[in-house]
Amino acid sequence: MKKLFIAFTSIFIGGCGSFEKIFVEEDLLKRPEAKRCGDCHAEIYKEWKKSRHAKAWVSEKFREESEEYSKVKCLKCHAPLEVLEGKKPVTRDKHREDGVNCSACHYREETNAIHGPLKVWSPPHPSRQDKFFKKSKYCASCHEDTYKEWKMSGSEKSCQSCHMPYIGKRDLIQNFPYHLLHLAKPRHDHSFPSLKAKSEDIEIRIKKEGKRRIIEIENVGVPHNLPTADQGDPKYYIIIEAYYDKGKTRKIRRTLSPEAGNALVYRKPLRISFFESKDPKKIKVTIYRRLSWKKERELIKTYLASM
Amino acid sequence: MKGKVALISILLAGISFSADKLIIKKPPESLSKYYPPKSKKFEFVSNMHKMSLAFYAVNLNINAENWEKAKEWARNLEKTYKETAKMVPEWKKYFKPELAENFRKAVESQNVDEIIKTSKELGRNCQKCHQDNMAIVKIMYRFPSFEKIKIEDPIEFTELETGKYMRKLSNSMKALRIFLLQGDTENARQAGEEFIERARQLKTMCTKCHTEEEKEVIKASMKKSSEALDVIAEAISAENIDKNKIFNSLNTIGMSCSKCHNVHEIPALIQEAFEE
Repeated sequence: MKKLFIAFTSIFIGGCGSFEKIFVEEDLLKRPEAKRCGDCHAEIYKEWKKSRHAKAWVSEKFREESEEYSKVKCLKCHAPLEVLEGKKPVTRDKHREDGVNCSACHYREETNAIHGPLKVWSPPHPSRQDKFFKKSKYCASCHEDTYKEWKMSGSEKSCQSCHMPYIGKRDLIQNFPYHLLHLAKPRHDHSFPSLKAKSEDIEIRIKKEGKRRIIEIENVGVPHNLPTADQGDPKYYIIIEAYYDKGKTRKIRRTLSPEAGNALVYRKPLRISFFESKDPKKIKVTIYRRLSWKKERELIKTYLASM
Repeated sequence: MKGKVALISILLAGISFSADKLIIKKPPESLSKYYPPKSKKFEFVSNMHKMSLAFYAVNLNINAENWEKAKEWARNLEKTYKETAKMVPEWKKYFKPELAENFRKAVESQNVDEIIKTSKELGRNCQKCHQDNMAIVKIMYRFPSFEKIKIEDPIEFTELETGKYMRKLSNSMKALRIFLLQGDTENARQAGEEFIERARQLKTMCTKCHTEEEKEVIKASMKKSSEALDVIAEAISAENIDKNKIFNSLNTIGMSCSKCHNVHEIPALIQEAFEE
């Protein structure tokens, strides 16, 4: 309340210019820990805390894969200093355990201000509206391969429309009494959900060409490869089971991954063919996925066809 | 005088790095603290570079008759040498601080004959340690170990160590050859499918270290073998299997395998031998 009193006095004496400076909290412009941003942006901080961005550095998987952080070229996207258009970031020296934190995405050294997609009034730090935040290109500094795949898909949906979905109009800050001075703004989810393809996102067709059985599997719903990653090792598992007379079965397995270069490209069917001396009675196709940082597999789709 | 001083570098270059017998000894444990994962600063090798730079700087400045700078670099060299001598206690015997001291004194006296004599002595002392240890240190610390790399088998869906995975891959390739030679087409088809899948997944191991632009280099170097795998896939799903097509493709794949094996296998075998 003391600050409010000083503020009103300073407006009276010096006008709005000096008013803005009174409320500036200098440490916010020095790339603080995410927790510090959470002092005001409590809800956004909570969402981010649940995200993979928040775990980018401390993830056990990353610690192992980077061999105790000794593979230096991996570090820049796991603790970036500043995410800028068309450039790979450099690695931050401070607060690396924060991973991809608030300042990495929102603070710009060039303007010494906090950037974001909205026009806001924010006395503790200068703010700039930056339309770039709504573009898929924004994510490409680190998610370069996924961005290229998305671009090839020709989709009009941006990365943000799925991975930062709109969650309604909300207050951007929660600390009393300042939140009373702000209007609710359109908000997008900062937990950056990794999402899972739905069964209908993948089409399966079974054909026969001479004595060859062809199984076509097509990603028709997700405008990037399945699975996708720039460096992690997520997998899709395809199990084809053919059932013949007298209880005879045949099982064919395929593992798809971005690193092996055989992920399901959007709208480009994957063809799996095998020789058949006899026609099966039934063919079952099951698709699972495993995220890079998880051990367990999740079912995506089961498809059963009688021949 | 210039010609005489230039002799220093010729003499040093003449100290050869050859031996008719090479004994490889595991580097001392205390050296590991100057390399990842314990340290990311490469302190030991960085001191080697500092000394090498200082040694050449002395030579360069004497040739330019800039004695003040030459003396400064000789002092730097002596200081770094003495620091380095304390870094790996097990290697204390290799270091003779008096040689760096004598070299510095010779430079300070501006006595060219003495400089040549002491630089030869110091150079020989450096070479002795390099000859005994440099190759194995590079193998142990500059070649990432395959020990920690795991690869998921696309047939059994289990995570395997590199060695075990390679054995499975190689066995499924051998099985394909054997069944084809025996005329057992049904089993050849099965073995072929397994081999193709395992060979395709192999890239996931390379990209653990070869990231970003290097990933593209890996893809390009594997282009021929990827195409050969496609040929095998096509051949094993045909009604009549064309054996020659498969054997020719396996040869192409074998050549691609040997490219990577030539680089990685020898260091990996030595590392493995020490681990055992």
